[in-house]
Amino acid sequence: MFTKWNLLLDSIADGILMLDKDGHMIYCNPMVTQITGYEEHELLNQSFSKLNDEVADAIKTEYALNMAFRTGRFAAEGWKSHKAQGRFWGQAILAPVFDDAQQFQGYSCVLRDNNEKKKEEISLRHSEERYRLMVEGVKDYSIFLLDTEGHIVTWNDGGKYIQGYSASEITGKHFSIFYTSDDLASKKPEMELRIARQTGMYQEEGWRVKKNGSVFWASIVLTALYNEHNVLIGFSKVTRDLSERQKNAESLRESEERYRSIVEQVSDYGIFMMDEKGRIVSWNEGAKRIKGYDAKEIIGKYFSIFYQEEDILNGKPAYELTVARAVGKYEEEGWRLRKDGERFWANIVITAIYNTSRNLIGFSKVTRDLTERKKTEQALKESYQSSRQLAEELTATNAELSAANQELEQFTSIVSHDLQEPVRTLKSFLQLMNMKLDQGQFQDLKTYLEKSIHAANRMKGLITNLLDYSQISKNELVKENIKITELIDYTLQNLKASIDASKAEITVAIDPATQCIDADRIQLVQLLQNLLSNALKYTDDKVPQITIRCKAENGYVKFQVTDNGIGIDHNDLNKVFDVFRRLHTVKDYPGTGMGLAIAKKVVERHQGRIWLESEPGKGTTFYFTIRES
Amino acid sequence: MRKYKILIVENDEDELFFMKESFNASGLFDIIGDVKNGNTLFEWLSDKSAQVMPDIILSDLNMPGKNGYDILSEIREKEDYARIPVVITSTSSIKSVMEKCIRMGASDYLVKPESFIDYSSYAEDLYNRCNLKILG
Repeated sequence: MFTKWNLLLDSIADGILMLDKDGHMIYCNPMVTQITGYEEHELLNQSFSKLNDEVADAIKTEYALNMAFRTGRFAAEGWKSHKAQGRFWGQAILAPVFDDAQQFQGYSCVLRDNNEKKKEEISLRHSEERYRLMVEGVKDYSIFLLDTEGHIVTWNDGGKYIQGYSASEITGKHFSIFYTSDDLASKKPEMELRIARQTGMYQEEGWRVKKNGSVFWASIVLTALYNEHNVLIGFSKVTRDLSERQKNAESLRESEERYRSIVEQVSDYGIFMMDEKGRIVSWNEGAKRIKGYDAKEIIGKYFSIFYQEEDILNGKPAYELTVARAVGKYEEEGWRLRKDGERFWANIVITAIYNTSRNLIGFSKVTRDLTERKKTEQALKESYQSSRQLAEELTATNAELSAANQELEQFTSIVSHDLQEPVRTLKSFLQLMNMKLDQGQFQDLKTYLEKSIHAANRMKGLITNLLDYSQISKNELVKENIKITELIDYTLQNLKASIDASKAEITVAIDPATQCIDADRIQLVQLLQNLLSNALKYTDDKVPQITIRCKAENGYVKFQVTDNGIGIDHNDLNKVFDVFRRLHTVKDYPGTGMGLAIAKKVVERHQGRIWLESEPGKGTTFYFTIRES
Repeated sequence: MRKYKILIVENDEDELFFMKESFNASGLFDIIGDVKNGNTLFEWLSDKSAQVMPDIILSDLNMPGKNGYDILSEIREKEDYARIPVVITSTSSIKSVMEKCIRMGASDYLVKPESFIDYSSYAEDLYNRCNLKILG
């Protein structure tokens, strides 16, 4: 007997549980484990609330047990706890258990898994909801249900627009309300229902009446609805207002056709339409020409296909549509891609398109290929740039030339004076000697002869220096990397005789940061030598104290030659670099007046700067800069 | 015949030697002094011991220190000597140089002779010009 009951409980396809008086589980059959995922030992002596989805919802469990005790049976559906899957949709039926002596012993419980059924129900509900919403949202069609007698059961937005009634005022009315008095007199509504009932459907075009009494030309479809037992449960009715369409259809078709053919034939502009998501729905000749796609390969594609990867990653296509939607239009110039991947510079205008009810139905996009124009513009700009550059160069050259010309004029004027001078002296002494010889006076002849030789030497010196000067201006610079210490050592070596003779004290201070310069060695030696010679020469019989300093400054090496000599008057500072300029008489300080002119020329040819500071009686400092290696 | 008192500004000692030789030989000028440049010229003029002012200053153009141009512009600003005629003399016969000197207030411009031998006619020429400037 016992075995038989056990066998029965074990094989029942529903979960069977036994609860004690307090609701603790004291028995469960194997099906419970299958349904809940909990093993027997995990459930026994646990509260029944463990199987509720909300963990240990003791109040709800107590309520259920209480109801079962009082009414003899309590069934509840709801989410139940599943060990592995979290929850399942289950049904529990509780009943109190009494023994033979009518003593209350606890509860029996049948547990059923309704999960699959619930899922179906939910998805069905969703899909019904979707359809309901869809139907309700349709505005171009009035769609409603009638009961078997023709009373209106549901109503949608389209009905509101077309017939003019709201759902609350029309629901429950008979659909004959939409018919003209003539139709009513001839019992047309009843006839239509009859036909639909017999054939499944009735459709026609005809006059119907709106709420405000006006009539409109309607297309209607009446469909009989049957349930699964083939019993008629009502009708659906779809009504469309054709009056506008009928009036406009023909002209609209013609005008559309006209525009379409115009747009399609335009080849200078790419013109196409997109739906509200940016999918291409039309394509013209120009678009084909500019972008390279045929209509059939591009229609249906997103217009982002024309954008460079970077633009796509930046969300540019979507952004452009957003702007067009917000302000009506988006316009820009930018790079776009052709089918073959080549870039072209495009001017694009995206325009949002609305239907008559102000609903966005898509976008038009007009694309112009500006590549050629851009190239022309670029070329023009470049040619303008280059001619402007040329003009600037010419102006600069002109300025250089007139500076050179002026320099040359000054040069010839000075040279003609200074070179003539010794020649005149020479000639004059020769004439004087000739005269004295004629007069038989011989006592001064030796002096005149010496003076003549001196004049001839001076002449030679001038010519040599002039040659040096013109060489510096004319010859190509032979630039090399020169170590500053070597340069100074070499120069001092050249001047050794004069330095020794004057017993000059020479200090050299080179900033260790300065290493090398990029310069013409011969010219740099000459430059330094000229400055040092002057420092040795213009001394007023003092022992020359000369300091040579070098340090790096802004990419240049700044040289500094300081002496303790006679100094230069403030007014004469700017004269010292002139050709043949001597501030002192030859007798006081012999020289050709070329040394500093040469020095300046050398510095200028090296794109450096030369200047001086001086205080008469104290000394002079010459500075010059040469670019660092 | 009047002898003009002349002050010579010339840095080249040989040139000065030739001028002096010729002027003395001509008997037309009384050389009251010679200086090396503008600087020493103004020192000479402002020296209180020099009681005698020259009738004419004959100045070279290119000299170390204050040159002929400097003398021309500076002498006009000195009340005491502004009236003394300054004749510029130089080897240069460039027209623009001559014009510049006249514009700057030189009484005359004389191109230095080719050589010593021509200094006698140079002295005569200068004397004639002086007659025109000073007397008339």
